[in-house]
Amino acid sequence: MPGKKQKVKKAIGLAIMLVAIPLLIVLGVWLFEDRKYNVISMVIALLSCVPFFIRFEKGKNGAREIVVIAVMTAFSVIGRLAFSPIPAFKPVTAITIIAGIALGAESGFMVGSLTAIVSNIFFGQGPWTPFQMFVWGILGFVSGAVFYKKQTPNRWILSLAGLVGGVAYSLLMDVWSTVSMEGSFNFVRYLSYVGTSLPFMAMYAVSNVVFLLVLAKPFLTKINRIKTKYGIFQK
Amino acid sequence: MKYFDRLHPAVAFVYFALMIAISMLTTNPVVIAVSYLSSIVFCGMLIGGRQLMVSLAYNLPLLILLSATNPIFVHKGETILFFLNDNPVTKEAILYGVFASMMIMSVFYWFKCYSTVMTSDKFIYLFGRIIPKLSLVLSMSIAFIPKLKRKYKEIDEAQKALGIYSGKGMVDKIRSKFRVLSILLTNSLESSIDTADSMRARGYGLKGRSSYAIYKMTASDKILCALFILVGTASIVLIVLGTVDFNFYPTLSPISLQALQIVAYAIITAFAFAPTILEVKENVLWRCLKSKI
Amino acid sequence: MALLEIKNLSFTYQGASNKALRDINLEINQGDFVLFCGESGCGKTTLLKLLKKQLRPNGSLQGQITYNGTNIENLDEKQSVCEIGYVMQNPENQTVTDKVWHELAFGLESLGEKTAVIRRKVAEICGFFGIGSWYHKRTCELSGGQKQLLSLASVMVMNPSVLILDEPTAQLDPIAASEFLQSLRKINQELGVTIIIAEHRLEEVFPMASKVVLMDKAQVFLCDTPRNIGQRLANDDMSHKMSLALPTAVRVFYKTQGTGQTPLTVNEGKQYIASNFAGSNTTCSFEKASRQEVALQISEGYFRYERDLPDVLNGVDIEVYKNEFLCILGANGAGKTTLLRVLSGLKRLYKGKYRLWGKKIKDYNGNSLYRGNIACLPQNPQNLFVKSTVYDDLMETAKVVNANVEQCKSMVEEVAQKLDIAHLYQSHPYDLSGGEQQKAALAKILLMKPSIILLDEATKGLDAYSKQTFAQVVDALKKDGKTIVMVTHDVEFAAEHADRCAMFFDGQIVSCDNRVDFFATNRYYTTATARMTRPYFTNAVTVDMAVELCNLNKGAK
Repeated sequence: MPGKKQKVKKAIGLAIMLVAIPLLIVLGVWLFEDRKYNVISMVIALLSCVPFFIRFEKGKNGAREIVVIAVMTAFSVIGRLAFSPIPAFKPVTAITIIAGIALGAESGFMVGSLTAIVSNIFFGQGPWTPFQMFVWGILGFVSGAVFYKKQTPNRWILSLAGLVGGVAYSLLMDVWSTVSMEGSFNFVRYLSYVGTSLPFMAMYAVSNVVFLLVLAKPFLTKINRIKTKYGIFQK
Repeated sequence: MKYFDRLHPAVAFVYFALMIAISMLTTNPVVIAVSYLSSIVFCGMLIGGRQLMVSLAYNLPLLILLSATNPIFVHKGETILFFLNDNPVTKEAILYGVFASMMIMSVFYWFKCYSTVMTSDKFIYLFGRIIPKLSLVLSMSIAFIPKLKRKYKEIDEAQKALGIYSGKGMVDKIRSKFRVLSILLTNSLESSIDTADSMRARGYGLKGRSSYAIYKMTASDKILCALFILVGTASIVLIVLGTVDFNFYPTLSPISLQALQIVAYAIITAFAFAPTILEVKENVLWRCLKSKI
Repeated sequence: MALLEIKNLSFTYQGASNKALRDINLEINQGDFVLFCGESGCGKTTLLKLLKKQLRPNGSLQGQITYNGTNIENLDEKQSVCEIGYVMQNPENQTVTDKVWHELAFGLESLGEKTAVIRRKVAEICGFFGIGSWYHKRTCELSGGQKQLLSLASVMVMNPSVLILDEPTAQLDPIAASEFLQSLRKINQELGVTIIIAEHRLEEVFPMASKVVLMDKAQVFLCDTPRNIGQRLANDDMSHKMSLALPTAVRVFYKTQGTGQTPLTVNEGKQYIASNFAGSNTTCSFEKASRQEVALQISEGYFRYERDLPDVLNGVDIEVYKNEFLCILGANGAGKTTLLRVLSGLKRLYKGKYRLWGKKIKDYNGNSLYRGNIACLPQNPQNLFVKSTVYDDLMETAKVVNANVEQCKSMVEEVAQKLDIAHLYQSHPYDLSGGEQQKAALAKILLMKPSIILLDEATKGLDAYSKQTFAQVVDALKKDGKTIVMVTHDVEFAAEHADRCAMFFDGQIVSCDNRVDFFATNRYYTTATARMTRPYFTNAVTVDMAVELCNLNKGAK
């Protein structure tokens, strides 16, 4: 029966991706004459997380795996808190990427997206929460999908990942800023937002690279030790 | 304890979800103004006047800044006031900026109210039945935070008193944070295994896990919830049907006050101020009870 | 039929070459209170974990364990979860959720109980333990003792018939530990729940037990009632290291070759001395350490954490002499840890003077306060380890003070020799036992070449044998000319090894004297030996002193 269940899971995920999201966009265009992207984009960001959540919910993670995901999430939040005096210099993206590499794509997504929810308990929830959930989640997912098998990412690739992560995060958050002001997507405004947030983008990217280069190796060693010692997250 | 705190989490959640949607769905200045005012008043009731003042002191400049940027990017609108770098600055764009920023602020304040009322355990309770695993992970991460915070401080002090840090400069400060985080990671991963064992010892992983809650849906909760759903959806339907549509460009559309519009505004205003009214009613009730005692 | 039967049990961990348990045979009956004791690493924890199906470690097992006649392995999952409860050592780690009510309900949720049922059971258990007022609290607001009681309650709510506890009081202060043990006694006496507990601090739990199992090197060394254990140890092997951990009364009894019923409590011990050893010799002579120059001194120090908070240090006066071992004792929350923070320079007094080697603390710039002067061993030695092997960790610290790699190596070598940890070089610091971690952490500190070493409850959670080793290390450090200040709850350790002891209360040092006079003058806050031998002896504060006087009086008779 597991095969059938898997199929159902996949079908639900696909349905959301292929039907619900386009439907929402169409709804947005038709009902609100293309002007309510703020609500629609928020819902889309949230819905995009749903297939991952369903997979986690139905997955076979044991107590130990679950606790490790919770600990990594809390750890990443503590990282954000520890560096809160320095603007834009945050280890969250780096820790999410590392979690993805160490624990695999799905767990990486969970750590990333849960970090957004939990850390915003301290930094303030808002319509941006779903965006952060999705962006950090995907970063964790992709790094897991790419590096989980090998476990030893090359320094250059790691730096590149940090760079891309920082830029992507900044660009996507600017989309949110634009949409929230206008309701629709004003490209000129978007460009100018991107322009004004360039220093932040640079800071995100640089800090990600710094954090990844310094933390990736020791952190991966530490997580892998726990993995082998207690036999969790085995491939 | 506030009235809204005592409500069943589902009721509060329904209210905030609907109210935030209403606030984001329309550009009608009346609706935005109502939402903006009511969110601030209710937020003040929840977090207290002083804290509200502090947060307003941060938010008002942001509101002005956001309003000011709109005419710089948008040159639509027919009433040109003056030219800036050869670009027209229009009355419509300025007004749009003001109301759009007010809308963002109102959403911000509704979220603030939401987080004050919907503490994490209420959220976890609400979704515990639909997504039990996810909400457990959420609950655990939240429980880990104060533990890790305390641990972080302990480790930091231990390292300091060992004389590892040179104590000078930004680089050393950042390096010391790396060090503490690194120690914290080993420590928290190792202790997480204990936590997992404690869960397994108490049967986590058995089939058919249930979800306990200390909240009870009372009759008045049910009535209030039904009312919220009714009035809230009615408001949304009216907005979606275009009853209160308002355009800023090219010229400001007039605010028509025909029967249907008046009904719409009345419903939305009632909905937006409902929490405030309920809270005030509760306070008055208590005063009366007290004077009787 | 016994409730739990262990037959010819042997166990080897996966990948290990030595057996963790060898030929264990035990029977535990309904309503028993079984106490397991033995040096850390003797296999207690392994045995306890094997009794709970869900916690069974990986490895190969011979022999069998049966519960009510059924092999534990074949036990129904639900039955094993409900009927065999398990409480672990660290209260911090075993709380799972954010809120107290959720923690209490957690086990019942796993069993799939309905809300109404859970509500009723949780209400009952809150009543039994008197913890109803915590119900809405966050778990992180509770103290260590309260957390441990919550862990106990959240296991008891599932109504187990056997309760297994692995060193449940090791991380608690004496008052909280005593309260916890009283709850256990209540569970045993009033509910008839079988209790199986492993412990190091036996003073209080020993008399409660109906059966004591002494374990040594993966085997059961002795298994008998508490009254017989004293007798049998005396007959068996007088100097057996197990005897170190036994309650004072038992130790005095068998060291004086007592016959008949073994006294277990202070009260029984007192009667034993009264009827056998009351005599003319009532005072021990002892050596007082000579006073040297003042190493550090606080005069009229005041400290508070925030402006609006009350003073934690309230005009404290303290002098520590060079080359002495000073123990600062006091109840929980008296501000001992704060005092240590001030002493170690982490916090500054807002009023008063703090001088180190006659120089004001402010005049030590940057790191000069730490390197070569003061170092602090934190309560949890794990807070110091960064690297993944002990050797790397030590080298890393050595590099902070030395530039030359060769120098580092020889320095690490020297310190490791002194503390006898060279054989642990390649282990991960977290894989060491508590005592070994302590030594490795101390090695790190010694690499910074401090002249003054501050210890924060260094004996917490250590077994009697490790404590003795630790005392030897402290002695060796003193021989090297180090000055040592320890903040502690452990009166027995202070009475045996300190030069001077100070009592901290209400933000001040209220009394300070050499160890013997200090504990001989105290009436309540003193060692079990002092309480037991009074009024027959005036200053017998350690077992050895009491035995000495007993023997003198016996000879006189």
